[in-house]
Amino acid sequence: MDDYFAEADEHLLAIRRSLLMLDGVERPNPASSVLEELFRSCHSLKGISAMVELREAEVLAHHMESCLRAIRKGEIGLDSAKLDTLLAGASTLEAVIVARREGKQVPSGDDVITALRDMASASTEATPVATASGEAEQAIGSWTVRFGPSPELVARGIKVDTIRARLLDIGKIASVAPQVIPGGGISFEFLVATDDEASLASWKEDGVSYERVAPAKPEPVLQAGSDRPSGPRAWEVASAAPGNFVRVDLARLDDLMRLAGDLVVTRSRLDDTLRRVERHVPSREFRSLQEHDLLMERQLRDLREGIMRVRLVPVGEVFRRMPFVVRDLAHDVGKRITLEIAGQSTEIDKFLIERMMDPILHLVRNAVGHGIETADQRVAAGKPPEGTIRLSASTVGESVVIEIADDGAGIDLAAIARRSTKGVRVEDGTVDPRLLLDVICESGFSTREEADRISGRGVGMAVVRSAVEELGGTLDVATEPGRGTKFGITLPLTLAIIDAIIAHVGDQTFAVPQSAVQEVIEVDPGKLRPLEQNELLTHRGRALPIVRLGRLFNLDTTSRPRLHAIVVGTGLNALGLVVDRVAGHREIVVKTIADPLIHVSGVSGATELGDGRLVLILDVAALSRSVRERPRGRERASA
Amino acid sequence: MRTILVVDDSPTIRKMVRAALAGLQDVGFIEAGSGLQAIETLAMHPVRMVVLDLNMPDMHGLDVLKFLRSHSQYRALPVMVLTTRGDDLSRKQVLEAGASSYLTKPFSPSFLVSSVRELLDAAPDASR
Repeated sequence: MDDYFAEADEHLLAIRRSLLMLDGVERPNPASSVLEELFRSCHSLKGISAMVELREAEVLAHHMESCLRAIRKGEIGLDSAKLDTLLAGASTLEAVIVARREGKQVPSGDDVITALRDMASASTEATPVATASGEAEQAIGSWTVRFGPSPELVARGIKVDTIRARLLDIGKIASVAPQVIPGGGISFEFLVATDDEASLASWKEDGVSYERVAPAKPEPVLQAGSDRPSGPRAWEVASAAPGNFVRVDLARLDDLMRLAGDLVVTRSRLDDTLRRVERHVPSREFRSLQEHDLLMERQLRDLREGIMRVRLVPVGEVFRRMPFVVRDLAHDVGKRITLEIAGQSTEIDKFLIERMMDPILHLVRNAVGHGIETADQRVAAGKPPEGTIRLSASTVGESVVIEIADDGAGIDLAAIARRSTKGVRVEDGTVDPRLLLDVICESGFSTREEADRISGRGVGMAVVRSAVEELGGTLDVATEPGRGTKFGITLPLTLAIIDAIIAHVGDQTFAVPQSAVQEVIEVDPGKLRPLEQNELLTHRGRALPIVRLGRLFNLDTTSRPRLHAIVVGTGLNALGLVVDRVAGHREIVVKTIADPLIHVSGVSGATELGDGRLVLILDVAALSRSVRERPRGRERASA
Repeated sequence: MRTILVVDDSPTIRKMVRAALAGLQDVGFIEAGSGLQAIETLAMHPVRMVVLDLNMPDMHGLDVLKFLRSHSQYRALPVMVLTTRGDDLSRKQVLEAGASSYLTKPFSPSFLVSSVRELLDAAPDASR
């Protein structure tokens, strides 16, 4: 059944993508290749749904397929109402499949089915529309390209699909037909339009031969793979990319990652042992030992990077669903919104992106529901009636930044100040963004008087924030009245193995993720100024809150004439963590602490150093939050 | 070893067909995801029978079937056609094109098994 859901997901995504490509195309005869892909996806979905006896999905897919067939044949034209019906069909189809996966009551698709059926039956009355296909490219050369497969070629990885993909790279394939060559064996004959004879010639070694076709007699280009067979020797080749991918269960990759993690630990034990035996080994032998050790370290790093890369998927997969969501919601609330998407190819760990789906969805919903104003309000404010939501992703160092920005009215700061219990003050028309985020992420906070379908009941932002922070990321917000709001999610590229600064406090060892560390400084205790429950240090012209980890976690520490502080976070979130000794930099394997009984705020996980000692990994974001909240709730961090 | 070529553009269906037939004695499987792949595979491997989907990219299953039937070396190759409920093609069309047998998805595994066994047993040993 998992196979079914995985494949169904792919088809749903393809259906949505195709429908969106049709949307906004104001032509009565949409591109046949898009319709073709759409049709095929529906058909496949119908087939596999039938196999798993998901009757509702099968029927829905069948009716969508019927409509598409009518459109493809030109029996009915495609307008925005029909597109809406198809979109509704796709949404219901997805809902049915999701419900089945989650073991819930499968929703009824009767309304949609009726609409689809009406649409398909309208085909007899409507005037036929010319089809878009058949635009043979006469300007460039036509070639008959023959490919004869053989076991030798297959052994070299060259198959008919390989050749087909190559031909698609250099031109258009009008048709392809297999032929039996005298004396047995098979060859494929492609009719190709291309100018790139050089490429064709270079494939001679790969079993490819070719000749020019007289331009005077263009081959008929037939409708791509319609239900009826299209003659004995001409098939238009759909543009579907050949599946050069392997689907791997994520658990297997996790296993690999864990094994690589174990190797990292073992190697660092080896490192320790090496250091201990240094005195007993002749220096020449020791040097060669050390070289091998270092080489192994580098190779291990490459290995885990390699595994990490396998886990990376383009963010675009999540983004692709968004136009659909925005379109639906905007339609519901009667707003006009365009969605801009940038950086779809930014790659991020599969595990992370799956967990970011809901938070991103929520932020987009918020932007539609709260952010963008109605067309009338926008015009009154001197803005174009159509609002814009911009969804973008980019890689910054070891992090991925996902931004959701709208050009709406901005967050109503006065309303925030009125409703918040935190004593928010609006100064110069702005609010400390950190505080603003705290307020809107407070559970139960909502500026809406009543919950509506889109914006929910004010639990959302709290969930968004905790989801982001659980994954070691940070959430930030910037808003400008009248100009819009921007949410930023910063996530680590991957989990599991991170670079960290190791520090000792008393007899305890802590690790601070290096991505959060700005610098390590020496502090003169005399320069610390007490402020309420905090201590502040003037550092680089700013007041830097100082946290003594020894006090925070109630550890015995001896007082020293000079303190070491690790500066973490940036800007207003910056924080100095006072430790006894900074031991250095290390790669650590993160193990999350799953047991709620030992869940400690300020600690995000644990790791093992080479000698088997347990090390706690500090949760920088939670520490920084607890410091800011301390005036109200002391000792929260050590609760 | 009697090799069965399973042709379908859906990996899920291919997997299901193989799972259903896995219990047969002395059989092995090759898969193809398109009509072109199917013909290429046939040219290079001895295959005892084909389970063929109809609606596929690149080359329609019926065209694959017609191609096979028009060439002597494949004329006797048993081909079981799988089609989806509601396809335009009638049983008659498919059988006229030369299908040895015909099954509509969703099919019952036991029916698939018995039909395939029948075809395998009836067919002459085509492996070279």
